[in-house]
Parts: sequence; structure tokens; C-alpha cells
Amino acid sequence: MNWPAYLPFWPLEVGPALWLALTLVAAVLVGETLVRHLRLPRIVGYIGIGALLGPGGLGFIPPLPATEWRLVVNLALGILLFELGSKVNLRWLKANPWIAATSLLESTATFAVVFSMLAWFGVANIAAVVVASIAIATSPAIVIRIVTESRAQGQVTDRLLLMTALNCIYAVIFHKLAVAGMHGQAGTSAIHTVLAPLYLLGGSALLAWLFGITFERIHHYLGQHEETFSFVLFGMIAFATIMASTLKLSPILVLLAAGLITRYRRQRPRTFPPHFGSAGAVLVVLMFIANGLAADLSGLRDSFLLVMLLITARAAAKLLAVLTLAHYSGISLRQAMALGIALIPMSSVALLLTLDTAVDFPLFGSGLGLVLMSCIVILELGGPILVQMALRIAGETPEKKR
Amino acid sequence: MSLMPFAPSRPLSIGVELELQLLSCNDYNLASSAPDVLRRVEKRAHPGEIKPEMTRSMIEINTSVQQEYTGLVEELRALRDVVSEAGRFLNVAVAGGGTHPFQHWSEQKIFDAPRFHHLSELYGYLAKQFTIFGQHVHIGCPGPDEALHLMHMLSRYIPHFIALSASSPFVQGHDTGFASARLNSVFSFPLSGRAPFVLRWDEFERFFGKMTGTGVVESMKDFYWDIRPKPEFGTIEVRVCDTPLTVEIAAAIACYIQAMSRYIMVEQRTPPEEDDYLVYTFNRFQACRFGLEGVFIDPRTHEQRSIREDITDMLARIADHARELHAVEAMEHVRDILRAGNGTSWLRQSYAREHNLADVMQLQAELWMGKQVMNWKFF
Repeated sequence: MNWPAYLPFWPLEVGPALWLALTLVAAVLVGETLVRHLRLPRIVGYIGIGALLGPGGLGFIPPLPATEWRLVVNLALGILLFELGSKVNLRWLKANPWIAATSLLESTATFAVVFSMLAWFGVANIAAVVVASIAIATSPAIVIRIVTESRAQGQVTDRLLLMTALNCIYAVIFHKLAVAGMHGQAGTSAIHTVLAPLYLLGGSALLAWLFGITFERIHHYLGQHEETFSFVLFGMIAFATIMASTLKLSPILVLLAAGLITRYRRQRPRTFPPHFGSAGAVLVVLMFIANGLAADLSGLRDSFLLVMLLITARAAAKLLAVLTLAHYSGISLRQAMALGIALIPMSSVALLLTLDTAVDFPLFGSGLGLVLMSCIVILELGGPILVQMALRIAGETPEKKR
Repeated sequence: MSLMPFAPSRPLSIGVELELQLLSCNDYNLASSAPDVLRRVEKRAHPGEIKPEMTRSMIEINTSVQQEYTGLVEELRALRDVVSEAGRFLNVAVAGGGTHPFQHWSEQKIFDAPRFHHLSELYGYLAKQFTIFGQHVHIGCPGPDEALHLMHMLSRYIPHFIALSASSPFVQGHDTGFASARLNSVFSFPLSGRAPFVLRWDEFERFFGKMTGTGVVESMKDFYWDIRPKPEFGTIEVRVCDTPLTVEIAAAIACYIQAMSRYIMVEQRTPPEEDDYLVYTFNRFQACRFGLEGVFIDPRTHEQRSIREDITDMLARIADHARELHAVEAMEHVRDILRAGNGTSWLRQSYAREHNLADVMQLQAELWMGKQVMNWKFF
């Protein structure tokens, strides 16, 4: 007897999408368990499940096709970056220049410490510059997610958002410069070394500015209905993200700058639902799972010491820089401690920059890139817990009766 | 525990206390920034005092003892500037107004000081609901009996002070329909309302002794009366006003009370009567609910008119006293309020224009911090 055609073939052939869907369910359930029983942030569950079930862990889920994965991550990160940008009040830097100083010191210190350590380990200068640039960035995804989830508010929260937005911008810019430098070393003509970053900066700024103007117009037209408006905004973010990738600009820079520009131009803050509604929220969850799936700890095997030293030195640089200027910038030592700790997480931005570099320079991907990936995985899992703890230390989360 | 003796003070001297809102510049909700702001202003030289209040999203500024409008308004402006500067440095906006339009009481945090924790335990959620912002005006009195006399005579005009200062129409995201919804929160406290009708200080001391004997109160601070004597300052303290939207209005209302006190002490000379209080809660309700349009019933003549008319009449009666006290400018300001409307009208107009309470709150903060001049043409 033939196998009837109305029944599915055995063994079942299922695509990775099915596993991804199951992972989503499992991750959300694990996330809720973490919140209820351990009071840990949900995203630890999302990333953790991704890492556990993914190719780097138990291997239940095959590696995701790179293009689909990049689309989800880019879109979700775009949402989070725009959200971050639109929550940040750049005018504050004028009223309190010490915050700008803290940001610059923190970033410079991180760069210097990571660079010297790599140089000491004998890494080639230009590769060390790339890694040091990426290390500057605090994870905007983790920061904005934990701030939203814990409903934190106060000096540490405000400064954390502002300094994260700033150090991401530095990181993207320095990374591009460094990569341009690598190209120069790889033998491409000098003119491109200069033009590449110029194109990136100018193009991203122009796109972000256009986004800002369109945002105002549409907002003016649609007016007060915030739900409708967040749908439109969602579409605009998707458009800008894809447009930025198509034009080989930095989606990170474009969306972050777009958020900053809209907030700066409007002068009035605007409250949207977190991640601009549930569609955005689902994408964000998927992004964290996808980040978990992409987790690669193979760098730990060969360079355990380097990874640990990098994490420690980077954290120390950020913490000490913030502590040094705490008094002048008007926060207590306790608050500065919390702020320094909260700046530690690394996640999507660093991951994307690392992967971008690896695409251009396969040698980097199989060497120093793996070390950096291990750092990212560790700080992605530990980061959310650190931020949550820091905001509690600072007393900026709502009081809970327990 | 007995009552403190009534300290001497210069008659008709004035002092103003204003409770202010601290807001996050991100969403213009209340922000628990009092410790940060206080740490910042500590280093700045400023007149008067800047103090913490019950919840961490409030701060209080107190002037020193002043004699007249010019000095008072100057000191209030200086205090405002110090607090506003600290706010800008910390991305915190500072605003007047009697309530925050959309804060949620359960999100407020109690300021870390023994007295506030004690009150929070005693009153429970009431303490957090007490996140409301008032103006207190002290008037110096020549002696304790004179203080009681002035207190009872001023009680009749409580609706004037409420209607002029009213700036709290919005509570928990909605227009309550009240001109001053803030006072509704004060009513829920067990010892709110008015002082007992006693006219001599020794009688008042006996009353206070009996109250402490019952264990209900420990000090004068436990009475949340609309007007109460403050023996350690030698003043009476008018406590019904909302914090106005600008320091100029706050100073003008304080000087209106001062000029009226001079009129009562020097010219009126009629004794207060217990029956004056028959219409007290009615008049007070009318002022809270309808502001300047509220009905005012004269306790002696039983004549009915609007609170606005009664204030206009009073302004004419106290004009000479205001001139003596160099408060002519302040009286002009009061007339402006009668003409153009109080803070509540401004807030409702702004909301009608902006459709968004966070935007209204931002305008309110800009108004208080002196970045924007009150735009009368909108009334």
C-alpha cells in the first residue's frame, strides 16, 4: 500500500521557523519563571534559551539563515535605538557639561584600556583598535529593555540612557574609521579610507534628518491618536532600517540619530507604548532569542584569560571614569557606582559590529572576533542582571511591598 | 506636653512657604529627585530655606521674614532661580500648581526622614496621596490673643484665598471639575478643617492640653487646619492656598492676605462670632468647586454674591492698607487674576489647546521656572 498523499511524509520535514516558534514560546515561559521566582529580568531567559537550544549550545535549532536573522535583529534594534534616542534630552548636556565630560572620559578610558591590553597580548594595532572601538558601546537594547521593564526613573536612569546613546555613536564612528584603516592596511587606495567614513557619517545624518522631518509632518497630520501613530512610526523605522542597509549606511547610527533629532526638534517629550506597541515588543523578544541563538562561546576555549581580562578591564574603566566625575556632575557615590555598573552590558550593537567586521575580514572573524563574541555572550547574559541590580541600588525602581 | 509660648513677632510681617513639584524632563511625570536637588542646592548661597517634603517628588521653599511685596517677591524669585538651576543641571523640571495632573499616588516614594516615615505608617496611602502642593502664608501677630482674633476673622475670607490661588483641576489624568481639587485630599485627614472657636490664648492652651491628653495629637503640626496659630514663630499660618503657577502670584496672594489682616487689625475691630462658621464649609466648597465663580454667602448679612465680586469689594476696602504696606502692585496682580482667571483657568485653556496633560505640565513647569511669561490673551 502506498503512503496516502493526504498524510504528511514521515519522518516530518520541518523548517527552522517551526523550531523558532517553539523557542519563542519556551523563552517567554522561562522569562516569566525567572521574573516570578528569582526576580531576574525576562530577557535573561530569552537570551539564555536561545543560547541553550541554539547551535552553540545543545544544537536543537540549526543555524538561522543570516539574511532573515539580520532583518529581525535590525528591525528590533532599530525600534530600540529610536526609542532610546527619543527618550534622551540632548539639551541636558548644555545645562550640565559634566555629563558630556563623563561620557567622553568613560569612552576614552574604555578604548584606551582595551587597546593597551590587546597590544600587550600582542594583537596587531589595527585589529586592537577595532575591538577597542566596539568595546566602547553599552548595549542600548538591554538598557532600554530593563529600564522599561523595571519602570525605573531618576538620575542614574536618565544618565544611563544618555550615556548609552552617546557611547553607541562613538563606537559606530570609531569602528568605521578603524575598519577603513584596516582596508588601508589591506591595500585599498587611501582615498577610500577617507571617503568611507565621510559617506557613512554624512549619509546617516542626512537620512536621520529626513526621518525627523517626516516624523514631524506625519505626527502633525495624524495628531493625537497615539496608537495609530505608533503603527506609522513602526513602518517608518522598518523603512529607515532597510534603507540604511541598502545604502550601506549604519542602521544603528541612523535610527539612534533619528530618535535624538526628533526629540531635539520637538522639544516636547512624547510617550509611546513600550517598543511602539505589541508588534515591536514581539520583534524585540525575537531579537534577544536570535542573539542567544547566535551565541558563540568557542573563543573561551583558546583565550579564556583574555576574555575575562577584557571584561574586567572594560568594566573597571567605565566604573572608575563615572566615579571620578560623579561629584562634579551632581550625583552621589552610590549613584555613580550604580551608573558605572549599568554601563557594562554588551549586546546587539557590539554583535552587529563584530559580524560586520568578520564579513569584511574573515581572519578577524575566526580569531579576535571569537574572543569578542565570548565577551558579548557573557555580558549579554549578565548585563541585564547588572542593570537591574544597579537601578535597584540607586533606588530608582518603584518600591515593592514584599 | 504643653503648648509652646507664643513668640513675639513683628505685626504684619509675612513669610511664604511653597511646596513644589519635581518632574522628569522625559515625560513630565513626578520624579523622585528631591535628594538630588537638595544635594545640589546645598552648595549654593540662597536666602530663606529649601527643605524636603513628605514624598521624594516634592520640595519646599521658605522665605525669611519679610515686610512687604518687593522684598518678598525678590526673595521668592531668588529661591525659584536656585531651585530651577539645580533642576536644569539634573534634567529635572520644577513647577507650581496644586496637583500633578497624572501622577499615580502608589508610585510616590516617601522621603527618607523619621518624621515622614512615621506619618507614612500612621496614614498609610493617605500619606502618598498627600502628594499635593500648597502655599502657606505666615502673618506676624502682636500677641497670642490677637493671633486668635485674626485667625477667626480671616476664616470668613478663606474662599478668597482658595479661589485666587486655585490651580489644581486635574487629578490622576482627569479634569475633576474642581478649581482646587487639592483641598479634597486635605479633607481626608482626621484633623483637618477649622480651629475650635476660642478667642483667648489660655483657653486655646487648655484645648491643646486636652487634645494631647487624649493622645490624639502631639504637637501643633498634627492639626491640618485651614488656618492655625504657629506659636514658635508668633504667627498665624494660612494653609488653604494651592501653590500658584508663578512666584509673582504667590507673593501677590500673600500680600492680599497681609493687607486684609491690617484692615482687620486696624479698621474692622468687630469681634468674630461662632455663627460666622455656619456658612464656612459651604463657602469653602463653593470656592474649591467653582473658583472665582463660586457663591459666597456673607455670614452676617446672609447676602449672596460671587466670590469674584466679594474680592473686588474687599480690594476697595483694603486699598488704603495696601498702600501703607507698599502692596499696590500686588493688589494690581490680584485684580489681574479677577479679570483674566486663576491658575485653574490657565491650565484648562492650555489643555484645550494641547490635548495632552504631559504637554500642559511642561508648559506649567516652563511658566514656573520663568522661561515663559504667562500669556494673558488666552483667557
